[in-house]
Amino acid sequence: MAERVFITGMGMITAIGDSVAENLEQLRQQRSGLGFTSYIDTIYRQVLPVAEVKHTNESLATLAGTTPCEGLTRTTLLGMAAMKEALQQAGISDVQSAPTGFINASTVGGMCDTEKVYFDIINPEKDGTFLQYIDTLDCADCTQRIADAVGFCEHIATISTACSSSANALMFGARMIKQGMLPRVICGGTEALTRFTLNGFNSLKNVDKQFCRPFDQQRTGLNLGEGAAYLVLEGESFARANNSRILAELTGYCNTNEAFHPTSPSPDGDGAYEAMKAALAMSGRSADAVDYINVHGTATLNNDVSEGKALERLFGSKVPLFSSTKPFTGHTLAAAGAIEAIFAVLAIQNGLIFPNLNFSEKMEELNITPVTRLIEGVSVNNVISNSFGFGGNNASLVISKYEG
Amino acid sequence: MAAISPQQTFNGDIFSAPLVHTDSNLLPCIEPDYKPFIPGNSLRRMTRVLKMGLTTALQCVRDSGLDTVGPIVTGTGKGSLQDTEKFIREIEQYKETALNPTPFIQSTYNSVNGLVALQLNATAYNNTFVHRGFSFETALLDSVMLLAEGASNTLTGAFEEMTAEHFYIKSRIGFWKQAPTDSRSLYEQQSPGSVAGEGAVFFSLTAAPTDKSYAAITGLKLLYKPTDEKLANTLATFAEGADLILTGRNGDSRYEHYYQQADRLNIPQLPFKHLCGEYDTAGAFGMWLGANILRSQQVPAQWFPMLEKIPATINRILLYNHFYGEQHVMIVLERV
Repeated sequence: MAERVFITGMGMITAIGDSVAENLEQLRQQRSGLGFTSYIDTIYRQVLPVAEVKHTNESLATLAGTTPCEGLTRTTLLGMAAMKEALQQAGISDVQSAPTGFINASTVGGMCDTEKVYFDIINPEKDGTFLQYIDTLDCADCTQRIADAVGFCEHIATISTACSSSANALMFGARMIKQGMLPRVICGGTEALTRFTLNGFNSLKNVDKQFCRPFDQQRTGLNLGEGAAYLVLEGESFARANNSRILAELTGYCNTNEAFHPTSPSPDGDGAYEAMKAALAMSGRSADAVDYINVHGTATLNNDVSEGKALERLFGSKVPLFSSTKPFTGHTLAAAGAIEAIFAVLAIQNGLIFPNLNFSEKMEELNITPVTRLIEGVSVNNVISNSFGFGGNNASLVISKYEG
Repeated sequence: MAAISPQQTFNGDIFSAPLVHTDSNLLPCIEPDYKPFIPGNSLRRMTRVLKMGLTTALQCVRDSGLDTVGPIVTGTGKGSLQDTEKFIREIEQYKETALNPTPFIQSTYNSVNGLVALQLNATAYNNTFVHRGFSFETALLDSVMLLAEGASNTLTGAFEEMTAEHFYIKSRIGFWKQAPTDSRSLYEQQSPGSVAGEGAVFFSLTAAPTDKSYAAITGLKLLYKPTDEKLANTLATFAEGADLILTGRNGDSRYEHYYQQADRLNIPQLPFKHLCGEYDTAGAFGMWLGANILRSQQVPAQWFPMLEKIPATINRILLYNHFYGEQHVMIVLERV
């Protein structure tokens, strides 16, 4: 019998808060983190809203308990801040006290800092401290900087599957535990806003000039966000022997590929349907045991149609309460899966269903509408968290209340 | 298996292919004709690494004789550098307006995986690992896990490209040798840096051997910045019973001492980086070479002018590779 996988610690930083508690408070207050950028050098500064973490790199370094230095990217600093909280919450003072893996996710690595000095880097006539950013562009840099700061020396890995990256990191960590490779793995992702991604999504005409409106008839695109989140996963036998505080259980997951189009989901949501269906089957929960779905809900024209169709196909006329929390945090790409997995745990712990902000009009393609106000005092036992990305990469997680 | 590399590895017989060398510190891939693999209209939009990755994956599926494609798992340290550079440049050049999204889309690290899935209509598990010298090997670990979980086969590979711009960038931090070096004498030129390379390699992996199997993977270990002691102990354990050690030696004097740990084991060795150059996923080329040697029970002699005595029978190979002293990997391959 494979080990059950428990969540025993969480840490995060997003545009709505520097910690899990601050994020919860802002979700409760229904306060969005969307606004305009203070840190990206872009002509869209006052045009395209983003959900930016309200700290300079210097301030982030303080928060992360490190000193700012050349070569330390914002991606790394965000990750370090979230990692510090996750370790604290899980009561881990030394990651080497037990074999502990680190599975990180990122979509553009240290691009946030390298893009500022890229043309100096390729100019043979220029020289300076900017050269310390030369090797920070890839996705492994942030993983190794965090690993070295914390002391991870067992398995480390980095995943990049676009917007499903950190959901896949959680899945990979859980599978390593189930296969008996490691008793404890810390999984998640980090993503900083960049001019590169902002222009990338804008060139695809996927960015909304207003605050995004997931699952709304008038939606016209997403808003990008930044942040980092890590969850501590422990195998059941280790968690019990270690007397860990168990926050929730990761009972199901699935990764599928749509094989439909490089950047668009299929109109009927085949990939989303298969991912949710298989994750639910693995969890051993029936469809009517799902209390809440934190949808991917990017607010792009395509995603919300296909994800909504998938929900209607899987749940028929009894689609569970669902909402997208992207109007709070923006779309944080590689970090989204881990951030939203923490929101799922918060929903379970606090009996909350978060509102899908900015919704006003039902989509013509769907019969369902998201939750639009904060619901409190409900019993939330099983949550599905969806993350779907470019390349047809779909990932669904089932997070369940811990029951003995 | 299939490989596009700086050697003639995609078509024909590797045991008669000549040794391709460079004296410019960069070994570029010999690219095949892509037309039999990719429709013309797609081909025009795709940059080198996408074409190399997709074509190698498709050729690998043909070679495997398997009629279904299950999970697709890949590793790439840098993804599509050409698209990344292009998009950065266009942002600057066109002042963030009227940008073509194609290079942005193709710059995402999982774009090759998406293309392979699309072309093969493969809707199972799909993942991309992006961690320098662990990229391919973590994809391999994931594949071994998938087979243990019940997948009947996996398509597992790695791809990397070198661009002129990236070659220059990495030269600024000592990745390559300063003096132009003949790749044939790479191991005699002990100095900082190596010779750059690139390549795409794919494997079909199954839980049980088939009549097409090249080799079995019976050991895999990834060590991140290990101590000398930990490395020596792990190498000794993994080398047990090995007839041959394939090493990722690359003439870089700064990290040569790690490979010297393997010298103490008194097992015949072959280095392979003079064939493929140094890059994040060069380990995949090493594994491809090892599997070929095991199945054919011979070494492509023309590729190894430095050839020492090779054992008459090779039943087990240890592949030991590391990337600039940080990510160390051991893979044990056995004859089927």
